[in-house]
Order: sequence, then structure tokens, then C-alpha cells
Amino acid sequence: MAQPGIGKKTQTKVEDQSSLKGTLASVFLLGFFLIVTWVGVYFLFVDRF
Amino acid sequence: MNTESVKTVVDRRDGKLAMAHFYVAFIALAIGGLAGLLQTLVRSGKFELPSWTGYYQILTIHGVVLGLVLTTFFIMGFQLSLVSKTSGTLTDKQRKTGWIGFWTMTIGTVMAAIMILTNQASVLYTFYAPLQAHALFYLGLTLVIVGSWIDGAAIIMAYSSWRKANPGKPSPLLTFMSLVNTLMWIVATIGVAATVLFQLLPWSLGLVERVDVLVSRTLFWYFGHPLVYFWLLPAYMAWYAIVPKIIGGKIFSDSLARMSFILFLLFSIPVGFHHQLMEPGIDPAWKFLQVILTFLVVIPSLMTAFSLFATFEMFGRSKGSTGLFGWVKKLPWGDARFAVPFIGMLAFIPAGAGGLVNASHQLNQVVHNTIWVTGHFHLTLATSVILTFFGISYWLVPHLTGRVLTKAMNKLAIIQGIVWAIGMTFMSGAMHAAGLLGAPRRSSFSTYGGSEQAAEWIPYQIAQAVGGSILFLGIILMLYIFINLAFFAPKGEEEFPVGEVADQAEKTPMVFENWKLWLGITVLLILFAYTIPFIDMIENAPIGSKGYKFF
Repeated sequence: MAQPGIGKKTQTKVEDQSSLKGTLASVFLLGFFLIVTWVGVYFLFVDRF
Repeated sequence: MNTESVKTVVDRRDGKLAMAHFYVAFIALAIGGLAGLLQTLVRSGKFELPSWTGYYQILTIHGVVLGLVLTTFFIMGFQLSLVSKTSGTLTDKQRKTGWIGFWTMTIGTVMAAIMILTNQASVLYTFYAPLQAHALFYLGLTLVIVGSWIDGAAIIMAYSSWRKANPGKPSPLLTFMSLVNTLMWIVATIGVAATVLFQLLPWSLGLVERVDVLVSRTLFWYFGHPLVYFWLLPAYMAWYAIVPKIIGGKIFSDSLARMSFILFLLFSIPVGFHHQLMEPGIDPAWKFLQVILTFLVVIPSLMTAFSLFATFEMFGRSKGSTGLFGWVKKLPWGDARFAVPFIGMLAFIPAGAGGLVNASHQLNQVVHNTIWVTGHFHLTLATSVILTFFGISYWLVPHLTGRVLTKAMNKLAIIQGIVWAIGMTFMSGAMHAAGLLGAPRRSSFSTYGGSEQAAEWIPYQIAQAVGGSILFLGIILMLYIFINLAFFAPKGEEEFPVGEVADQAEKTPMVFENWKLWLGITVLLILFAYTIPFIDMIENAPIGSKGYKFF
């Protein structure tokens, strides 16, 4: 049963060259900033009118 | 991308035509920039103008010269050189058309300038009725518009001859983009031409006594919102198709870029009501519809943001960067052709966020007619767009004049970008903050009878003057660099960077070149958004207003 070496995963982390996870994170941050700005002024509106 | 048609150098004769446009644009920068400095100083309350001029005259110079003259001349010169570069040298007929356009615009500019300088047209760049200027001011602006149409005709002619010579192939990306912007401009300017020719000109000549204010403002904003996209799209051209080449990367997707430009053509025109949300006389249902259409323009802007991030990340990873944001470090920060437009891209993040606030009806009530709005368009036009135009000038001007951007000038250009960013952070930041506290836009310094609320605004107005002074230093630096690149830089060959599409990108479908389809949808959307409101306005029109001249 036990085959030495087979169960051992050789995990050398190779990062995918075509990965766009930084882009994904960036657009999420951008979206978050848009929402925060909008909600901020919305509460000013609710407060004043 | 059709690299086979890309010539290495723009023909010298086309270069002269483009440079003629740039000379006017940078003279406008000098005059308009000085006017802007004076405004911020007056509004600080610490400085008074000499008796022979006034705040509103200076404000009119600033708006007309920078918002209308600098932009239109630069954009037309830029687009003509893009077309000449990517679709081949202009024919003699096309070039002649371009020159006729240039001179028509220049004569119009001089006419309008004389009227403003002799204080017969201090009506601000929006020339809202019932403020009434001298007829020659309106005639001058009409010539600027007509001249830009003639310039646009040269671009359309060059596009058609490329398509005829290359049947079944998609046009070069930068030619396509120039064409979309030209078509949008022509459709949009019909509105402002209509109000000027049928309303303001006869009224200022005394042929009619009264003017329908709401109709003229609606026609103005039918033009006014696409006007801001007419400014922005040339910056997007550089971001999508030129910056990737400068950094040594590839265009993420040719189709995505074309798609976003088509969306701008469709959605940037039937949205003028979001500038008129506080105006009586327009049914709220139609305002709501145009707000929805406005939010549809957010889509191509977010597509652009995604595409740019992806271009940068793909480039960084190809250079071996790892981690979530490792690619940021690989970008060529020492290259002004990249770094200066990049500051512009960054500024578009708060600019876009502010735009969403402006376009939302309830939130618009918080900021309407406050100096927040001025702060907003100094981020969009006066930072994102203008820094990109400066970044373009750093390679395009020497390319066209047969010179090179030296290391020293490159360094100065980066300093210029940083000076601009600092100055604008002060000025636009203070404008946004004061606007949220209710400070009005457009108006000169006043304590409003010693009002407590108005006193709150004064520290922000001083911050605006500090920012304005720093920005004026930035303008002096830019003019110095421009004069160097146009007349004094060493002779040589500066590259005209044209991006290539990434290998894994899909083939571009031909549907993007179907102008009957796109212009058809554009017209339908405009008719849908404007027909019934216009019928309402005309059917329920008041008697109209006489003209007012407060200058």
C-alpha cells in the first residue's frame, strides 16, 4: 500500500504568470472607495434634508 | 492591431498641422492659468483686482480659454497626429481640410477673446441665458465649433480612405478611437449650435426680445455632458493604447477598448439632465431616466480601470513580480511619459467617486452649485485629462518637431507632475470640503454680511489660493518644457509609442465598425431621452426673459 514518496506533495509555490489577482483586489478597493464616498454624502443628505 | 500600416514617423506636413493646434493650446494654457491664479487670490479675500477688470471677466477668460479653447485645439491636433500615424499620412485634400478647420477655429477664438477682453462678454464659459453677451462672442464660439467640425471631417475622410484601402479589416485602434470621439463631438455640438444660432444670436442682435431660458440651458447641457467625455476620451486613448507601449507591456484587449468607446458614444449624450436636477420645468421621471443612463456611463469607466490594472499587472508579472501588488514596483516610475499620466489616472478615482455623487438626485441637493463641483472638474479635466495631455506632449511635441526629450527635461516633467499633484490636492481638496459646507461656486469673495456660515469657508478659500499658486508654478514649468521641446531640444528622433495587443487577446469583431448601427442607437437614445421633455418645455413655456448685462 504505502508507496514512499507518492503521498509527499512537492509544494514548490509557482505563482501563475497570468494571474490577475492584483487587478481583482484593485478593482474591489476602487469599488469600496466609490461606495464609501457615496454613502458618506448620502448620510449628509439624510442629516440635512 | 494593424501594425503593417503603422508608419514610424508622422509626416512633417501633418506634424506642422498638429503643432499649429498645440501652439494655440499652450498659449491658452498660459492665459487661462494666470486667470485661474488671480481667481483663487481674489477668493482668499487677501487680494483685490485692479479697477479696470473684475472677477467675472477673469472667470470667463479662465473657463473659455481652458475649458473650450485649450481642450478643443489640443484634442484636434492630437487626433490628427494619431490618424496620420496609424492610418498613414493624410492626403493633400485631408490636410487642407485640417488647415481650414484650424484657421476657422482660430478666427473664432480671436473674436470671442476680443469680446471677453473688452468686457462685453463676462458671461462665464457656460454663457447661460439670461446673461447676455455681445453677438460677436456667440459668433466667435460658433466658428470654433464649425472649425472643429471641419477638423473632424479630415479625420472622417482619413478613416474612410483607410477602410476603402483595407476592406474587411478593423481600423487601427487609435484611428477608431479618434473617429468615435469625433462622431460624439459632432452629435453633441448640434445642441449648442442650435441654442446659439436659433436663440442666443438673434436675441443678442436684438432681432427677438426674449429668450426661453430652460430650452437654452437644456440644449447647452445636451452638449455640456458629452463635452466632458470629449475631453476625457483622448486621455483614455493614451491610457488604453499608448501607455502600455511606454511601459513595455501590451494592450489587455483591443475589443474591450473599442467596446468601451462605443458605450461612451451611446451613453454620454442622453444624460444632460443630471446637470439640471435642481431645475424646475423638467418632469422628475425624465430626470430619473437620464440619471439611469448616466450611471450606465460608469460601466465603460470601470472597464477602463480594470483594463489598466490588468495591463500593469500583466507587465509586472512578465518581469517576475510576485504577490498581490508586487507589479506596482516594476512600473517605470522614472519615465515622465508614464508617471505623469499615471498621476492623472489616480486622480480619476476621487474624480469618479465625486461624479457619482453629483449625478444622484438627492446627493446633488447637497453639492449643487457649491464649489464642490468646481473641485470635481478640477480633478477630472484639470488633473486626469490635462496631466495626460502633458504626458502626451512630452513625446508627441519632440516627435513632431524632430527633437528629443532629454534626461533633464524628463526629470523636470516628473517634477511638474508632482507639483501639479500637490497644488491640486490643496486646491481641489479644499474646494470639495468647502462645498460640503455650502460654499457657492462661481461667486467672488464675500463675507455675506458677516454671516457665521460664510466665515467657516474662508480658511478653505485660503487653502485654494495656496493650491492655485502651486499650480501656477506647475503651469510655468509646463510652458518651459513645451517651449524647450518645440524649439530648443536637441535634434533627434523621439518614438511615437503605439501599443500592441496582448497575444492571448481575442480577435476584434467587425461589428464595432458598423456605424449605421451605433449612430442609429445613439440617435434613438437621444430621441427617447429628450423628445417628450422638449415638447413639455415648449408647450408650457413662459414668456421668456430679456437679456441682462451686469458687466
